[in-house]
Amino acid sequence: MRNSTTLSCTILSGLLLSNLVVAAVPETGLRPPAVFEDDMGCLLCHKFPKMGRITEDGESRSYYIMPHVFANTVHRNIPCTDCHSYIKQLPHKEVKEGVRCDSECHTVKNPATGNNFSHQTVFKKYRQSSHYRPKLAKGHDQDKPYCVTCHTNPIYNPEEEVVPTDVTDRCMVCHEKREFVDNWYKHTSRRINKVKRSSKEIVELCTSCHGDDKLVKRHLQAAKDEGRELGRKYEFAASSYKESFHGKVTGYGFTKAANCLDCHADAANYYLNVHDLRPSRDEASPVHEKNRLKTCKRCHKHADDNYASIDPHPTSEKRDNPFRYYAELTYAWVGDVVFVALIALSAFETRGRLRDGVFWRLRNGSSWSRRRGSRIQPEKNG
Amino acid sequence: MKLSDETRRLLDVSMVINKTSDTDRNEIEELIGRIPENRVRLYKYLISNPLGDLPRYDIHIRIQHLLTFITFLTLAFTGLPIAFVEHFWAIPVNSVLGGVNVTRIIHRALASVMIFAMVYHIVTITLGSFIKIRQGRFEVSRSMIPTMKDARDFKADMLHFAGKLEQRPEMDKFMYKQKLHYFAAAFGNTVMIVSGSSFLFPEFWASILPVSIASHFQEMMRISHPHEALLALLVIAFWHWYNVHLAPGRFPMQWTFLTGKITREHQMEEHFVEYLRCLVEIPRERIHLRDMLEAMEQGEKAQNSTDSGG
Repeated sequence: MRNSTTLSCTILSGLLLSNLVVAAVPETGLRPPAVFEDDMGCLLCHKFPKMGRITEDGESRSYYIMPHVFANTVHRNIPCTDCHSYIKQLPHKEVKEGVRCDSECHTVKNPATGNNFSHQTVFKKYRQSSHYRPKLAKGHDQDKPYCVTCHTNPIYNPEEEVVPTDVTDRCMVCHEKREFVDNWYKHTSRRINKVKRSSKEIVELCTSCHGDDKLVKRHLQAAKDEGRELGRKYEFAASSYKESFHGKVTGYGFTKAANCLDCHADAANYYLNVHDLRPSRDEASPVHEKNRLKTCKRCHKHADDNYASIDPHPTSEKRDNPFRYYAELTYAWVGDVVFVALIALSAFETRGRLRDGVFWRLRNGSSWSRRRGSRIQPEKNG
Repeated sequence: MKLSDETRRLLDVSMVINKTSDTDRNEIEELIGRIPENRVRLYKYLISNPLGDLPRYDIHIRIQHLLTFITFLTLAFTGLPIAFVEHFWAIPVNSVLGGVNVTRIIHRALASVMIFAMVYHIVTITLGSFIKIRQGRFEVSRSMIPTMKDARDFKADMLHFAGKLEQRPEMDKFMYKQKLHYFAAAFGNTVMIVSGSSFLFPEFWASILPVSIASHFQEMMRISHPHEALLALLVIAFWHWYNVHLAPGRFPMQWTFLTGKITREHQMEEHFVEYLRCLVEIPRERIHLRDMLEAMEQGEKAQNSTDSGG
């Protein structure tokens, strides 16, 4: 009860404050008007920048919707209640779970099937993958990615800002509406030309979790406590990739070398299967022993079984790869010994030579200094 | 001076190979007899051209050395910024070369020149040795092949530098240091070529190796390429450059790599056996030695009389 009172107070004070601020700033036309449909009148409250609250845990949450930003996102044409389907009345009640990405749209139809549009096909794949977590996950599952961890709902950014009319004029013959044709062109041209993250971005995305030492340790411990099996390379996934050839070359900005998803996602329908990543012990995984050669062959046409046995995640950790560990150690020792030995030998020889009567002379090259005692003039060249 | 048994044997072999006449033999023996037991006494009266007096390397060897040293340095210059791409010093180097993608291409192009130099060298020495064997002029001790004498020379040389022996051992055309260096370079080159090719053609190497070592091989090569390169740089920077540039008496540089000639004093000091061969093969060298010996004898006589007079 106390909590809900605090909540109401915070919201009210926020509203009041933002009202004051908005009232104080005259309409200058700097903020572009919202162009997305707001049938339910959600912006009545959510247009206020101060709309938000401080949670019981002390976190500040903003419920402000920037109309000019949202109007440019991929979801701009979908009415709020299609996703926020739990809202049945206004003002709405406290939100428990929020939006789940597997919900079905009621307004937008899939033009191919005529059914209600939804992300369920992708979500089914995601549900099978080792990354799956419920929206409100508990315990270590919280570390797993939910849809929005990777899909940050970026601002709609068409490949070409200016639609080439010499192409779209043809569409206009039947489709008549310029706005429809332009939007359709932008939608398609972007998906044809620039449909996924670059290799570097994919590696950064995966590394943001798999390269997080604290997170990795947490999961190693949890797996140990629960007696669960984790991949042999789980611990080194990110660091060993960066050390590998693929990782190094990708780091140089080279796009043809394999990134995480090139091996770990089934190539059959890449865009769907990147949502279905599985551990290498799962037979459905492209990096499972049985499938490894096929996966290598996607790029390395001449690969054979021997090739597939090469470790793509090499490390020099003793517990992972003692061979490499001792090889590195030997090289380090040889390097140190050679370094010290050669300097010592040179110093020793210098001392001996100086005692012998030779020293550094710039003019006569390698001449023996004792020649100064000679009565014979040096012979001219030739 | 009295030659050691080993040196005497090598000198005799040389005279037999060169079909030296009795008159020449007598002349050589007479000159050797007049060389003081302590060769250091003669060094004082040496006549020597810093650019070199006696033949040492033919044109092929000099071209191979030039190719090797130019490609070695440029390979290091392009390879290190690839291996350590994120280091602060690698970023400007890569930028100057046109980005790391260009650096990689330059590195591979230079590598092919280095491989050519190595192949060129192998062909030259194989054919050269073959011809010498057919002519009956091939001597193991005059070649790069390591022998037990090298171990003895090393010991004697260390004793000399430590002040225990009066003069350096009578070493052959290629002394212990040069043989060690030569085989280190040959080994390093091979490692660099094999590991470099395993980066370029991993499928090929995997296909010819047994499955049990295919992965280990690739990993070993992956480690070896940068480590071997650094090791080679260390050896070049601290040893080779010391020996040919920085050592007292060699400073500021030896011209042998360009002129193909070695100075008389260097030959006598470090390659005495080869100097004796020069006496056999180059009659003019006997005149030079005679002049030097006379100068030494007169000089020492004058010195003695001054000393006794004073």
